[in-house]
Amino acid sequence: MKNMWEVFVMDMAELAEGKDLELTIRTLNPGVQKYTYKRVKCQVSARLDKLPDSLQVRMGRGQLSANKFSIKVLEEVQRMPEKYL
Amino acid sequence: MSKISAPKDNREFIEACVKSGDAVRIKQEVDWENEAGAIVRRACELGAAAPFMEKIKDYPGFSYFGAPLSTYRRMAISMGMDPASSLPDIGKEYLKRTNSEPIAPVVIDRKDAPCKENILKGKDVDLCKLPVPLVHDGDGGRYVGTWHAVITKHPERGDVNWGMYRQMMWDGRTMSGAVFPFSDLGKQLSEYYLPRGLSCPFATAIGLSPLAGMAACAPSPIPEPELIGMLSGEPVRLVKCETNDLEVPADAEIIIEGEICPDYKVEEGPFGEYTGYRTSPRDFRVTFRVNCITYRNNATMTISNMGVPQDEGQLLRSFSLGLELEKLLKSQGIPITGVYMHPRSTHHMMIVGVKPTYSGIAQQIGQLAFGSKLGPWFHMVMVVDDQTDIFNWDEVYHAFCTRMHPVNGIHVYKNSTGTPLYPFTTPHDRKYSIGSKVVFDCLWPVDWDKINDVPTLVSFKNVYPKDVQDKVTSNWTAYGYPEVK
Repeated sequence: MKNMWEVFVMDMAELAEGKDLELTIRTLNPGVQKYTYKRVKCQVSARLDKLPDSLQVRMGRGQLSANKFSIKVLEEVQRMPEKYL
Repeated sequence: MSKISAPKDNREFIEACVKSGDAVRIKQEVDWENEAGAIVRRACELGAAAPFMEKIKDYPGFSYFGAPLSTYRRMAISMGMDPASSLPDIGKEYLKRTNSEPIAPVVIDRKDAPCKENILKGKDVDLCKLPVPLVHDGDGGRYVGTWHAVITKHPERGDVNWGMYRQMMWDGRTMSGAVFPFSDLGKQLSEYYLPRGLSCPFATAIGLSPLAGMAACAPSPIPEPELIGMLSGEPVRLVKCETNDLEVPADAEIIIEGEICPDYKVEEGPFGEYTGYRTSPRDFRVTFRVNCITYRNNATMTISNMGVPQDEGQLLRSFSLGLELEKLLKSQGIPITGVYMHPRSTHHMMIVGVKPTYSGIAQQIGQLAFGSKLGPWFHMVMVVDDQTDIFNWDEVYHAFCTRMHPVNGIHVYKNSTGTPLYPFTTPHDRKYSIGSKVVFDCLWPVDWDKINDVPTLVSFKNVYPKDVQDKVTSNWTAYGYPEVK
């Protein structure tokens, strides 16, 4: 099953295609983990069948965008300083 | 003081509310994703009974209690008063109790503390094991803390702070929260922990006794554990945390222990707020790293769903903020008759009744209120005379529209401290907590001649002789009118 993700952006330009991005995304997969976040390196595409997972977009005040994307998570990024892990 | 019989914990409170018809038991399964939040929101908007949701999807054994103090009836129950008590009577009782001698808490043994019935440490720590609700669709996350207390202690001064700082689940071990720089915790972090690069121990207590929730919400200078004792008439039971030296309410439903990372922030929000909007931007905010979770068997998570009036965010905050401002003004010798914040103003407007004995008294009141530590939370002060009933919006609005000079009666103070939650401010001002304030002076100027210059109020109570008023009142039904209650 492909994974479903969601991202909050202030501007759709944050979801530039054709390059590696670093985004904070949350899982929409069903279950108790739903809505937990990860920081990831990824690629996105407006073509829904281009990349393996789906990406839904919300704007800064929670408004659901009509624009849908596909996404490929390349790797998880750990931002938290070592001392807190 | 007569014996107070207030509910000692969240469970006694729920039972009392069910008994009086102020809470309803919901037996069918409720989804933590939106459904529970929607039930609470609708109950708030209808002024309905508080929902006690006994079965939660994915979380057997847990329950929710929503909108704990979103009506004055439930506030009266929380104080051990008759649910039908009037707001002025509840206010008088609050002032009486909080002006009494502080009652120190007692620390009990861990084995006697209900909140230690289940303990998750190390690899077992996972916030996803708790039924953290998605309160509003479109929120930035599932909110762990909506009706709770974040407990910290100043390492040098020893000040204990219980504050209601909203907390969002970021992942299984991380929460992010809105801690504004002018708040007690915000000052503590910026003054002590951040310069030293130290993490700040915290504990979040969820499912508190209603009076502990009231104390955590109240902007009182009295330390919350003592304040709870004063409100309930007996010491609050505390217990030591598992992983730090903080003391937490032993009868709380859920305790989350950890450390605040002052030099590391993660995204928080947006979230439905007490103003009735999602205003504050999604931003990088304070990070809470979780080290331990303890909870009672069959724990009940409390939910406050903030949005349009009225919920706890407006009702309780208006209540305690107004009364603490009343204490402040009385402590300065201002001849006020009272302070009221209407919940529908989302505690943005402070209405003050005063005997106008000297010039500039309205501005003095505004400057004292805005200059206090409570000042960032409201931006309008309306001052009316001692003949106006501050609890009667019809009278206050009439005074506002007829006695306030549109030039001389409005006093504006620019570039003061505000909150990022003010819907009317610019995005820049929200980001930097910049606010503006206004005083509406609805008093007749004291240099007007009271006989020739001050207009006469034309009302039943004011223009007819007492004997005529009594005659008309006593004959009212005989005239053919229904009885006036």
